[in-house]
Amino acid sequence: MSIRPSIVKQLGRRASLVPAAVAVALVLASCGGSSVSGGGDDDGGGGDEGAALDPVKIGLLVPLSGVYAALGEDMQQGFQLYLDENDGKLGGAEVEVVEADEGESPGTGVPAATRLVTQDQVDAVAGIVSSAVALGVKDLFVESKVPLVVANAGANDVTAGGSPYIWRSSFTNGGVAAALGAYVAEQVGDGSVYLISADYAAGAESTGGFKETFEAAGGTIAGEAFTPFGTTTDWQPYLQGIRASGASAVYTFYAGAEAVGFTTQYNQFGLKGEIPLYAAGFLTEGGVLEASGEAALGIQNSLHYSDQIDSERNNAFVEAYVAAYDEVPTTYAVQAYDAAAALGLAIEAAGATDSESIAQGLSEVGEIDSPRGTFSFDENHDPVQPYYLREVQEVDGVLANVVLQELEQ
Amino acid sequence: MLDWFDAYTGTVLNGLALAAVLFVIAVGLSLVFGTMDVLNLAHGSVSLVGAYVGVAMVGDSASIAAFVAAVLVASAIGLVLGGVLAAMTAKVSGHLRQALLTLGVALIAGDVLAEVFGSDVKRVRAPEGLDGSTEVLGTPYPVYRLVMVGVGLAVAVLLYLVLERTRLGAIVRATVADRDMVEAVGIRTTLVLGGVFAGGAALAAAGGLLAAPVLGAQPGLDDTILLLALVVIVIGGLGSLRGALLGAVLVGQVQVLGVALLPELASFMLFGAMGLVLLLRPAGLLPAPGRRA
Repeated sequence: MSIRPSIVKQLGRRASLVPAAVAVALVLASCGGSSVSGGGDDDGGGGDEGAALDPVKIGLLVPLSGVYAALGEDMQQGFQLYLDENDGKLGGAEVEVVEADEGESPGTGVPAATRLVTQDQVDAVAGIVSSAVALGVKDLFVESKVPLVVANAGANDVTAGGSPYIWRSSFTNGGVAAALGAYVAEQVGDGSVYLISADYAAGAESTGGFKETFEAAGGTIAGEAFTPFGTTTDWQPYLQGIRASGASAVYTFYAGAEAVGFTTQYNQFGLKGEIPLYAAGFLTEGGVLEASGEAALGIQNSLHYSDQIDSERNNAFVEAYVAAYDEVPTTYAVQAYDAAAALGLAIEAAGATDSESIAQGLSEVGEIDSPRGTFSFDENHDPVQPYYLREVQEVDGVLANVVLQELEQ
Repeated sequence: MLDWFDAYTGTVLNGLALAAVLFVIAVGLSLVFGTMDVLNLAHGSVSLVGAYVGVAMVGDSASIAAFVAAVLVASAIGLVLGGVLAAMTAKVSGHLRQALLTLGVALIAGDVLAEVFGSDVKRVRAPEGLDGSTEVLGTPYPVYRLVMVGVGLAVAVLLYLVLERTRLGAIVRATVADRDMVEAVGIRTTLVLGGVFAGGAALAAAGGLLAAPVLGAQPGLDDTILLLALVVIVIGGLGSLRGALLGAVLVGQVQVLGVALLPELASFMLFGAMGLVLLLRPAGLLPAPGRRA
């Protein structure tokens, strides 16, 4: 009956035994847990320009804890950089940002989104890394008529149906992979390609997208493998299978820790020098590339951004980002930056900051001038954007995804 | 047959390498459960601490000496953590409460580690000289994994000698079998238990570091390790050294050879094997002799 109080008492009594480190840990953990922070509350002040726009309240739903926290930080920084470049305004309206912790699964992401919409009553939400979370909260946004700009989650179905409230500034899993199909088919010629990826929705969609364009371009598949998602630590048996299949190239989709594991083991077991590896760009993006190290050298991959894109727009962006955060921007940062840009343009187009106007405004933004190149939204509200063929090379002593060419789509 | 052997030598070796680290990590969990009846859900966190010691001390490159030094530091830290955990759990009775307490510690530890080391995947390089590949029956195979197999074997032999051939080991085994009787002959079992806990945690931390060049170090790895270690001791039988060894070898081979032979069943194979063992031998394959259920 009184299990909880007695545990609390027990813990209290033990507290003297636990070293100070754990006490500090408790404090840290509780700080991390309170995920609400935000802009100033004094939105009434400082209307010096006499702008007619009401302040806008934006929910930023990104992972602040769990396995995707590194992506969440990149997205926070990207979003914030856009605000900083625009005097803390979106489309001329003062912004209050309410942050919420998406965590790593719908178990944490859905309640956080619900709280943003019902309790904090934000006008629009940007963010969401996990496709599972995006699919879980989609109906919430459609039903409460609050616009959502997905800034990462790539599941094809997130935008299916083209709801006026669901938009995406990132990519579709299929799209990233499809961009690479024809190129790889051309490279291998008469050879065949082995497909290997993590056994979950993103892996299946990525493989599917690649297969479609690759086979359309006349390519043949040597074999396919899906590895258990989240529990695979040893790729040797699969690598053995790839070797045995006699494939002349490999296409793969992995992200996060699994990307590091796959890349290093592909190298350790000696496949790297023998069978060229093509991948969806997440295999070599951001912190993952750093962790993989030189095992990733030479991997060719497709993505819609690289900090190495040599355009005036991107060079200025990279410079500003490095100045602000002392690290080069990742694709995730750019996606959040562009989510902010889309919201800004939407507010500007609509001339109002309520949810309905922002949703309407999003359909009128037209072309968005992004560091990745210009993009616009298609009928599903997915980005129509350039995809780049990138290759991991060493640039000034650090590994980077050098852009070889823009991929034809 | 010879062809088959040729094709799968690397795979079998790999299963052994995985088994080696699993054994080093799981044996502590098993002995702690056997002696103290404490289910320590913070065991995976201790391993992750070991991996992060590697990140801090080894990182991108290190000589063999520096790597060994890191293993020793990780073990020492593990020893202290084990002692602290033993003290915390000593007076908490009941599996549920112990599980809640250690789970709480694991959650806090996970957050603190993420705070200190960041949430990116960190890597630990194999020490210089062991980071290359060698030819095993014509296919390249990483040297470091061969070393892992060797280290796992050495730890197993050493533990066997200590537990089966020394007076100290006899006391530990007796405590597993009948704690009251050991008390009755005048031995303070709390000290025995604390020692086993600390030693087990030291092995877990060392194992986490040994595994780091293969598994890396990142938030969430503690749960993965804990899960695998629990499967190992459920299959092998609680509280016994030989059980942990057999369990680790089986889990290693199921995870690797099983996947190679029946890839489409990869997701289910591990827990399928565990379920099968539980159905046929609910106490595990080699439980500690004389242990009261």
